[in-house]
Amino acid sequence: MTRADYKGEEMVIANSVDKIYANNCHALKKVSVTVKRGEVVVIIGPSGSGKSTFLRTLNQLETVTEGEVIIDGIKMYDPSTNINTLRENVGMVFQSFNLFPHLSVKKNVMLAPLKVLKLSKAQVEEEAIKLLTRVGLGEKINVFPSQLSGGQQQRVAIARALAMKPDLMLFDEPTSALDPEMVGEVLEVMKSLAEEGMTMVVVTHEMGFANEVADRVLFMEDGQLLVDDVPDKFFKNPSHPRLKKFLSSIL
Amino acid sequence: MLFAPRYLHPYLGIKMQNKKHNVVWQALFVLTLIIIGFAVYSASQKIDYTWQWNRILPYIIDSSPAETFAENDGQVTINENGTITVDFDNGDPALLIKKADHLFVSDGAFIFAGDKISSVNQKSMGVLLEGLLMTIKLSVISLFFAIIIGLIAALMRISQNPLSRNFSFLYIEIIRGTPLLVQIFIVYFFLGTIFDLDRFTAGITALSVFTGAYIAEIIRSGIQSIPPGQMEAARSLGMNYPTAMTYVILPQAFKRTLPPMAGQLINLIKDSSLVSVISITDLTKAGREVVAGSFATFEVWFTVAALYLVLTSTLSFAIQRIEKRLSNSD
Repeated sequence: MTRADYKGEEMVIANSVDKIYANNCHALKKVSVTVKRGEVVVIIGPSGSGKSTFLRTLNQLETVTEGEVIIDGIKMYDPSTNINTLRENVGMVFQSFNLFPHLSVKKNVMLAPLKVLKLSKAQVEEEAIKLLTRVGLGEKINVFPSQLSGGQQQRVAIARALAMKPDLMLFDEPTSALDPEMVGEVLEVMKSLAEEGMTMVVVTHEMGFANEVADRVLFMEDGQLLVDDVPDKFFKNPSHPRLKKFLSSIL
Repeated sequence: MLFAPRYLHPYLGIKMQNKKHNVVWQALFVLTLIIIGFAVYSASQKIDYTWQWNRILPYIIDSSPAETFAENDGQVTINENGTITVDFDNGDPALLIKKADHLFVSDGAFIFAGDKISSVNQKSMGVLLEGLLMTIKLSVISLFFAIIIGLIAALMRISQNPLSRNFSFLYIEIIRGTPLLVQIFIVYFFLGTIFDLDRFTAGITALSVFTGAYIAEIIRSGIQSIPPGQMEAARSLGMNYPTAMTYVILPQAFKRTLPPMAGQLINLIKDSSLVSVISITDLTKAGREVVAGSFATFEVWFTVAALYLVLTSTLSFAIQRIEKRLSNSD
């Protein structure tokens, strides 16, 4: 089944995902999550809870030890699945930006569409400038990443992921490495993306963002998914004692 | 400044030294060089050695005339257009000399086998220059293959597949653990006999395989110094491993490996002197030949050293330029 054939409602189905690292660290314990098309799901939890690991299993930066992952109707561990094709449809934004430092901002955005989708240079360049303008960096297309602030770099990283026209975006603590005054500009871009109907899974510590933008908020601890709720209930009326403890410790 | 450091550390050389101080130290440096030079000169005066630098020149540029000798008895005819015809008594086809700057026979003269007929003024490469060219040829070709071998071995070394990983490990360990001189002998006498290699091919093979092992380790450490997030970002965009390597990892690794790579390539040029043991007339062997012919031992070896230095410093300068050009993204 190809991506175009799938019209199902579920964008992400993770079915009792288990992850045990080579050093016997049990990072994920039977995590099951379903994300519907157009939904914004925020995952929070203390560090070491497995939330980043779970996010990374959704584009196979981590393989799972057991369980099933289906992205946009494609079974990730089916032998006929080409993981590169699957990843083209799943954009990822990292905590440490991971821009390509040897390429200009514009070329960072252009590289994957050129080399993976094999689109024409003129088309890719036009699209790149459009995307960079959209994230507010239309003036900076020819500078190198090292000349940008953290917030600007993260916005380039978002534009780079969007250049592949993904149906799903993963955000792995996108604002954690930023100076406080730059958090806002990145969250703003993410918010506008959510408003356009992008399906997003976001690992973050920004409770405000979770409360305002998320359709559902998940709470993870010790590799287990403990709470999966709408933000209103999640924050105002936490259903799990561990979540109650976590919220009281950070607020 | 005479030798300006390329990267001035921000915390060094700012507080204590001002420009005036620097000039004093640079002057002291030059003065010391002069003193050392003088010491070497006066030491060489004591050992009763007659320096004859002019003897070296013919071995760099050979301006001795090209001479023509008669192969048999015969008679010379000088034609109207200036060419010379020699008819041989024994019926050999006549010899036609088209150009002569000096003539040693006259029209109608009878000559005997071995007589000098004429000569042409010319300038050709001397033995040392030919040796230098051979060294350049050896180095450039070996450099090309060494980088290819090194890149392949490095990629095999970091591969997940134990087969290629072990092969690369074995190759690097064997090559780095044995002397180049021994490797040259093995390639020339053993492989050379099996595969019928000429000495030049054998020399190139030994040099590139040897240097490739070191380059493999340099490239491997360069690749591994790139943060894993770079590969993850590239793969998360849908790039396959080779594409990510080619466009994301290797360009960055290449930049980081330039300084150690420069050292290794300079080593290659110097190591090429060892192939003289299998009778390739490179710069070092040419030097030995010239010493045997001219007895100007000191002058020859100083000249040979200077020629090597020209090669290595050119390379090192070129790599510094590349480094500077690539640093614009820092």
